Amino acid sequence: MKLNGSDIIMECLLEQGVDTVFGYPGGAVLNIYDALYKYSDCIRHIETSHEQGAAHAADGYARASGKTGVVIATSGPGATNLVTGIATAYMDSIPMVAITGNVGRSLLGLDSFQEVDITGVTMPITKHNYIVKDINQLADTLREAFYLAQEGRRGPVLVDIPKDISAQVTDYEPVVPKKPELPKGPSAADITRVAERMAKARRPFLYLGGGVLAAGGEQAAAELAKRLDAPVSCSLMCQGGFDQRDPRYMGMLGMHGTKVAALALKHCDLFVAVGTRFSDRVLCNADTFATHCSIIQIDIDPAEIDKNILVSEKLCGDARQVVEELLENLPQQHHGEWMDQVAKWQQEYPLLQKQNDPEKPTPQFIMETLDRLTDGEAIITTEVGQHQMWAAQFYRFRHNHQFLSSGGLGTMGYGLGASIGAQIACPDKQVVNIAGDGSFHMNCSELSTASKYGVPVIELLFDNQVLGMVRQWQKLFYGGRFSQTTLEKKTNYEMLAEAFGVQAMTIRTADDVEPVLKAALQTTGPVLIHCLIDPDCNVLPMVPAGASAEEPLLDM
Amino acid sequence: MTIQEEKDFILSVQVKNHAGVLQRISGLFSRRCYNIKSIVAAQTVTPELTEILIVVTGDDRVVSQVKKQVEKLVDVVRVTVLDQQTCIAREHMLIAVNRTMETRNRLLGIAQVFHAEVLYVKEDTVLFEVVGTPATLDSFVRLFAPEEVKKILRTGTMAIQLD
Repeated sequence: MKLNGSDIIMECLLEQGVDTVFGYPGGAVLNIYDALYKYSDCIRHIETSHEQGAAHAADGYARASGKTGVVIATSGPGATNLVTGIATAYMDSIPMVAITGNVGRSLLGLDSFQEVDITGVTMPITKHNYIVKDINQLADTLREAFYLAQEGRRGPVLVDIPKDISAQVTDYEPVVPKKPELPKGPSAADITRVAERMAKARRPFLYLGGGVLAAGGEQAAAELAKRLDAPVSCSLMCQGGFDQRDPRYMGMLGMHGTKVAALALKHCDLFVAVGTRFSDRVLCNADTFATHCSIIQIDIDPAEIDKNILVSEKLCGDARQVVEELLENLPQQHHGEWMDQVAKWQQEYPLLQKQNDPEKPTPQFIMETLDRLTDGEAIITTEVGQHQMWAAQFYRFRHNHQFLSSGGLGTMGYGLGASIGAQIACPDKQVVNIAGDGSFHMNCSELSTASKYGVPVIELLFDNQVLGMVRQWQKLFYGGRFSQTTLEKKTNYEMLAEAFGVQAMTIRTADDVEPVLKAALQTTGPVLIHCLIDPDCNVLPMVPAGASAEEPLLDM
Repeated sequence: MTIQEEKDFILSVQVKNHAGVLQRISGLFSRRCYNIKSIVAAQTVTPELTEILIVVTGDDRVVSQVKKQVEKLVDVVRVTVLDQQTCIAREHMLIAVNRTMETRNRLLGIAQVFHAEVLYVKEDTVLFEVVGTPATLDSFVRLFAPEEVKKILRTGTMAIQLD
């Protein structure tokens, strides 16, 4: 059948099973928005306040659902406003397709109004990108974009569509989407060898990364922990990849890892890393990381093997598939003594936050109360900073798709948009965005999106009046010179929320925490909870720059 | 970590002839801090494919990283690290040198030894065209004093792996 470019875009979205897109209209996407109007009964468009918010929402939608998130923006500033959101998705390997309009082909390259070379701009932060200059390539390009976003190590793909292409008419025939196949994976010989090596370990350490979640490998990983009889640590990207109520769980590893995980790292004789790229926040100092033991790395991306650290055994493939194959070759192990030792450390070094100000609730108390009231079942999104670490430390995640946070890029302003996307993907779940007052100000305009669409997210704002994470470093390494980290904003958060049409609540004391959280959880619309906390609460433990991941500071 | 020896590696990268493919490769090199010593894009018998030859400086770990990162690019079909023992590498050079009554015979002698083509001569200048391995071109250049050389233009290395 004959369709114009914009209708072809809609049909391609439908082919892929897309029923929700996030975006913001503009001149170069007028045709596309005209088609969205026509297709509004089958494709729901969520209009954010800013394209960045739309990109984060598409990312949150993808993380919460496992499906590919879709974001649409106009040319020029619309497209460049997506950049932070695309880079965030790229660093965390999140499947996303960004569709941007551009000026018509005859105006390309002439510095036309709202023209920007967005494929040039986003080359380093996409898996791949395209500019469609031939209407006959449009459908296949979009199909390829969706395929690439989900194939292998997932990630964002951008398709730039000049305005005249979105109006041109050509033949369209629907195509059944090509499902990405799993990578070939390691040979049987490699699997047997590594399984044998695992069976020789006396003090194994199982470390899980975001690749476990991307592969849907939580159950396989849990089984591996049991079979290997090993303690488990998860990276920030794998929160929920292992039930944190399980006694094997030691907490995170690395810059804000637990003392228990650090001790286990120091004493283990085999470090098994699944679906992880050994980010510098985990390694801390690569030269002193796990020097006394062998490392087995399992990852889908061959380029991540031997990149940040040299490993003894490498298995390249889908985390779930590789772990399942290992399980077939690995008999039950017993490391009673080692597990007892880990349990002793857990007794000795629990995560405990000091209460400096007896009036104010500690973030630990707030997060633990939230965990209890939501039975550990809420989807938690975060901004970036201290509150992000507290959320990861004190909420006990147990499922995939449950913790949505900008791990690689560290994007302040990510969480609110992401929470909206997550809530739209999972309307039956409770979604809570944990924010700091610094991050909140970056993209707080998205409160208007939550209120417009009645998206019942809870914005739990930890207000300590400072940029706490940076301030913490200034305390430690810059002689307490708090350059530009004392915010002391005059913002009245309650009034601001209400101005956006969002109900506001306040937590001033520890006694307020439970009743206010309960009330917020019972509210049907979006709620902002303004929660006053102590400005001097630090994220601990902490491994200072250059130090070994085995030696975190417990106090400062 | 053991410090490995830095040397030159030749990567042969077969790519689909899509717009921006060279930018994707050079961008990858610059953002990942790999050193490109030279880069040549050559047409192949298949019009939709181009062969890009890149000389990279680094140790074994770097070159294996470079190879894996380049392989991830969607437009890249195949990456081979050429074995310098068994590949044939050639560069092309145009070099203009000063010519005087005293040096003119020496210049012609050098040209003969290196099978250099004399493209142009005038009273004070000779323009040579030389083809050879990078090492041959280096030795050719070294035969002239720096003040004798007016201009050098060298292409990057092209190389073919022998079966």
